[in-house]
This record gives sequence, structure tokens and C-alpha cells, in this order.
Amino acid sequence: MADHIEAAGRRAGFLETRTGRALAANWAAFFLVLMFVVFSCLNPRFLSVANFQNVVHIQTLPFLLAAAETLVVITGGIDLSVGFVTGLASVGAAKLVQLQLAAGAEPGTAVGLACGAILLLSLLPGLINGLVITKFKVPPFIATMGMWGIANGLALKISTGYPMMGLPDWLTGIGNGYFVYVLPGEFVSFLGKPDWFPDSRIRELVRLLPYSLPFILAVLAILAFVLKRTRFGRHTYAIGGNVDAAIRSGVSVDRNLVAVYMISSFLSGLGGIFNVFQTGIGNYTTFNAQYEFFAVAAVVVGGASLAGGKGRIWSSAVGVLVLAFLENGLAISGVQPFYRYIAVGVLLVVAVVIDKIFPDLR
Amino acid sequence: MGKEPGAVATVGSGKRRGAIAEFLGSRWILIFLALEILFFGLKTEGFASLNSLQILLYYGVLVFLLAVAELFVVITGGIDLSVGYILGFASIVSIKIMEALKPLGLGEGATVLIGVCATLVVGLVPGLVNGWLVAYLKVPPFIATFSMLGVCHGVSELIINGVYAMGLPKLAASIGSGHFLYVAPGSGPALFSRPLVERGVEVLEVVPNIVVATAVVVAVFAFVLSRTRFGRHIYAIGGNVDAAIRAGVPVKRRVLGVYALSSFLASLAGVVYAFMYVSGKADAGASLLLDAIAAVVIGGASMFGGSGTVGRTMVGALIIAVLELGLRMSGTPTFDKYILVGVILIGAVIVERYMPAARK
Repeated sequence: MADHIEAAGRRAGFLETRTGRALAANWAAFFLVLMFVVFSCLNPRFLSVANFQNVVHIQTLPFLLAAAETLVVITGGIDLSVGFVTGLASVGAAKLVQLQLAAGAEPGTAVGLACGAILLLSLLPGLINGLVITKFKVPPFIATMGMWGIANGLALKISTGYPMMGLPDWLTGIGNGYFVYVLPGEFVSFLGKPDWFPDSRIRELVRLLPYSLPFILAVLAILAFVLKRTRFGRHTYAIGGNVDAAIRSGVSVDRNLVAVYMISSFLSGLGGIFNVFQTGIGNYTTFNAQYEFFAVAAVVVGGASLAGGKGRIWSSAVGVLVLAFLENGLAISGVQPFYRYIAVGVLLVVAVVIDKIFPDLR
Repeated sequence: MGKEPGAVATVGSGKRRGAIAEFLGSRWILIFLALEILFFGLKTEGFASLNSLQILLYYGVLVFLLAVAELFVVITGGIDLSVGYILGFASIVSIKIMEALKPLGLGEGATVLIGVCATLVVGLVPGLVNGWLVAYLKVPPFIATFSMLGVCHGVSELIINGVYAMGLPKLAASIGSGHFLYVAPGSGPALFSRPLVERGVEVLEVVPNIVVATAVVVAVFAFVLSRTRFGRHIYAIGGNVDAAIRAGVPVKRRVLGVYALSSFLASLAGVVYAFMYVSGKADAGASLLLDAIAAVVIGGASMFGGSGTVGRTMVGALIIAVLELGLRMSGTPTFDKYILVGVILIGAVIVERYMPAARK
């Protein structure tokens, strides 16, 4: 505490003014805007509807995982298993579809049943995580790291270490579909390009509003509502803020925590299914993907504290956008993609240092 | 191992169940390891042999080194997520340095020696930054070392630009794959170099060089942890940081030292990786992080700090190594290994909780 005061004292002045504090509280958003300006100046192609749509569409999975991680981090925990649960759900769904197709099922029904089953099953890793953490008092880091290994092993077992093919083609049509297709001056088509339009000219088409956008907005809005306006949400913050006080005020901490971890793995499972629709194959998660680390990074850049009690769904979404546009902007400006990892590292430290200087923001 | 003074005194006399739990509690990992070896020994032909023991240790060295690195950090109550990518970074740096030295014509021995030393010095840098962030800027270890993971990943990829680092001197490769002692029938034992024998004559190879080197390093750090002031200070910091400060422990300097040491060991593991696999790549150690942390936790260290020993951590690492080799030799896909390590990891913490004697 003394450190904060001392540090704040040294930096008094501008940062203590109202503007300064607003800037610090929303630095991620300001940084995002700053990046837009800089990258737009560096390269005119950056500032385009197509690019923005692409980035948001590609970030659907990170949005889901960051939202999942936000809930867990608010309780003062951490969920390292999100990335591999995603991979498990992805190969699990692909496997179920393959099995049903082999048994002669109709593709539509097969996909529907597989998605439903996997969404239900994806509650299971979270249930186990939650029970291990609450009943056996295993630290969240260890419990979810164990699940990290288990989910990874199961996903590799199901997929035998290869991407899983042989799914219906139309999956990617839904996963990567847009509401509006426009060929300037010729036609406007809704929910898919006209059948007569040749694939060879597909680059001339202007696509607007990916299906994934309302999907992710709806998911984030529901989660934000749940966190902010329901008793469950208030209890979640209470647990992270001061668990003893939460117990004394009658919060059933264990049940709430189990629910949080179940929501987290459900969202990861949802991400895995989205991944199947986006790529058309079942993908296990590679070690290099580091989904869970980027999810935690987005949450921290969004202003949550790993100590718990702080964090918001929309702020974490801003965190995801900061990391995403950083990568996208650097790539478009011709910077080597590897600088992204370095930049994320630096950003994270900045986020925490700001959190240290202003411990009472938000 | 399992003979911590004071542990015995905590049990009420006359309670036999308590005594049994006590006995099992302080030795369960050893018993588990023995059962595991017995299981694979009976199930898999050729598992119980000198050769497979050597293979087990040979492929285990990276996890042994990373686990010791992780142990020091965990005892202070921290965590180091960057060890895996520091390993990758060091594997690349060592090869690049040796390649750069080649045109100088120093001779292979000098090239390898300078290359290794220079890599270990460079390998201190990530740890010093980690330690500075954690100790002086109060950045949570998870965030600081995760940032470093990203930085090491990025820098490694920048250095190699998408391909593996190659071009390790032959000498280094032969050290990496060579053995400490060779016994050829008819002639006496030879150290380090394989005696010339006729084709078809079996030469007994005993203990790979890197296993010897790793054993020495692990022993040195076990000594540092248990017998030096530095070691005692680390336990004190993890046990109760306020008490440590009052007792005059230079907490910030010690924490800085611990992260530097962790990164030193990780880069040593990187050098060993380069020697073993004759290549360097950024994600060489990415999958080893789980194993390293699991070894520490299975070995009974608490994530909250203040407990853990090198000996127990090595038993934890051996449990994982036996599992991996056993599964490989019995023909099961190694995918099962991840599942089982996850289960054992969680199970270990639960066992520790219900057998309190195992703590400390």
C-alpha cells in the first residue's frame, strides 16, 4: 500500500486530475484509439470496413475465452484450461459428426446433435474444476492446469494428433457467412452470395456484417448483464473482493464458484464449436496457440486484477481488441509478426503498473 | 527424503491410524513411484533394464532442470511461466553464438565452451528482468513471467526467422549423444569416447554425459537450497515475507536472485536441448512447463510458498518420466501422458491436503 501512495505521490499532478484519472481508468480504450490513428497514418489499408470486420470476426474465439477468463479472474481465480477445452470441444464435435455421418445420419441433424451434446459436455470440465477447487481446496492454478493436461490429452486421443476432416462443406458457409453481399453498382444479396456468381470473382464482392458479430455481441451482452444486474454477478464480485465478508453476508461461495468455472468451460466449448464452423474441421489446440495466456492477457489489459474483485466483460473485450489490432496493425504495416509477442508482454506490464499506481480505479 | 525432523512429533502417540497416515503421508510419492515402476516393469517387457533407465534419465534431464528452476521460484510463493520459452531461446542463442564463433578458427573445444558460457550469461537477462519486475515493481509473478514468455518467444522467432537453428559443432553433438563410460568386452573401460571395436561387438554404454552433468547441477542446487544462507532466506520469504523482512533478509535482492537463477537453469536446459537434438527452436520447451510445475507440486511444494525440496521435486519429475517412458514402451499413444499427468497433479494436491504430515 505504501508503495502505491509513494508512487502516486511522485506522479502527482496531471494524473491526479480528473482527466488524468479518466485516462488511466480507460487507458486501454485510449490506447486502442491511438493505435487506430497511428496505424491509419502508416497504412491507409488499415482503416477499412473489411479489415475491421475481419479482425472482429477472427477474434470471436478470443472474445469468448476472454469473457470466460473475466468471470474467473473476478473471483480471484484463474482458468488455464480454457484453450485446451476449446480444442477438446472442437475435435469432440467433429468426431460426433463423423460418427453420425458414418452411421448414415442426415448432415443437418448430425451437426445439430453434435453441437448440443458438446455444449452440454463442455460443462463437465468446469464442474470438475469447480468441485476440485471448492471441495478439495486445490489452488485454481493447479486444478485448471491439471484440466489443461487432461483436456489436451483427450483432444489428442480423439483426433489422433491430426485435424479432423470430412465434415459437411456448408459449415464454413455459416461460420464465415455475412448478412449482406454487395457488388458495387450491380446487386445486393442477403444471407449469401447469389448462386450464379462465380467463385473466381469473389474478391470483388463487398461483404458486410459477419454472422459472428451479432453472435458474439449477444453472448457478451448476456454475460455483462448477468455480472452487473443479477445476484449471481454481485456475489461473484463479492467473492473476489473479500471472500470472508462474502461468506458472512450469506453468499454460498462454493456453489457460486462451481457455477463460474462451469460457465467458463461452457464458453470455451462454445468457442470450440465456433472453431469447427469457422474452419470446417476439428482442431485440437497446439501448445503454441497459448489461448489461455492471451485470454488472461486481454483480461488484465482490460483492467481486471488477478487478485480478484475487479473486471468487466466489455473492458476485457477492449483488451482483446487492443491485442488483436496491435497484431493486425503491425502485420499490415509490414512489421514481423513476432514483434506481437514482445508487444503483448510490454503491454501487460504496463497494465499492471497502471493498476499499481491507481489501486482504487474502477 | 521423507525424514523431516519434527514431522514425527506432530502425531499423537498411540493412534495407530494416525501413525500409518503419517508414514504414508511423508512417503507416498516414493511409494507411488515404486508402484509405478513395478506396474510398468510387469506390464512392459524390457522396461526393467539398465538401458531403459538410461533412456528415462536421458530424456528426463530437461524436466529435471526446469523443475529445479521452478522449485526455487515456487518456494518464494511465485511462479515462473517463462522457463519453457527461455529454454527455447537459449537453445537458439547457443547455436547462433557457436556458429558466429566458427570463422574465428578457435577450435571446436573453445568454440563450444565459449558458446555455452556466453549463452548462460545471456540467459540470465530474462530472469533479471523478471526478478526486477516482481521484486521492485511489484508486478505479480504470473504477469511478469508471462510477459517474459511472450518476449522470449518473439525474440527467438526473430533470431531464427521461421526455421530451426542448425549448425551445432560436431563436438557438442557428440557430447550430447555420448556416454560417460564405455565398456568393451576384452578391453578395459574407456571414459567419454567409444572404444574401437569390430562390427557386431556390443559395447556397454553407461550413463549419458548430459545425465552426469545434470546430476551435478541438481546436486549443487540442492546444496544451495538446503545448506546455504541464500536457501534459508528463500524459505523464509515464502513462509512469511513480513517476518523475513524483520529478520533482516534482503527480500528484494533475494527474489531477484531467485528469478535470475531460474532463468539460468532454464537456459542451461536450453543448451542441453541443443546438444541433444542438434537444433534450436522457439517452442522447444513449450510443453515442458506443465511437467516442470507438476513435478514441483507432486513433490509436495505448496504453491503458496515456503515448502518444497529438491529431492522430492526430483521424485515428482521421475514419476512423470517413468510414466512417459512406460507409456511409450507399452505402445500406448503418449497422449495418455498428458491426461495422467493432469490427474496425478490434481491428485497430489488432494493427497497432500488429507495427509497433512506430507506438508513441510
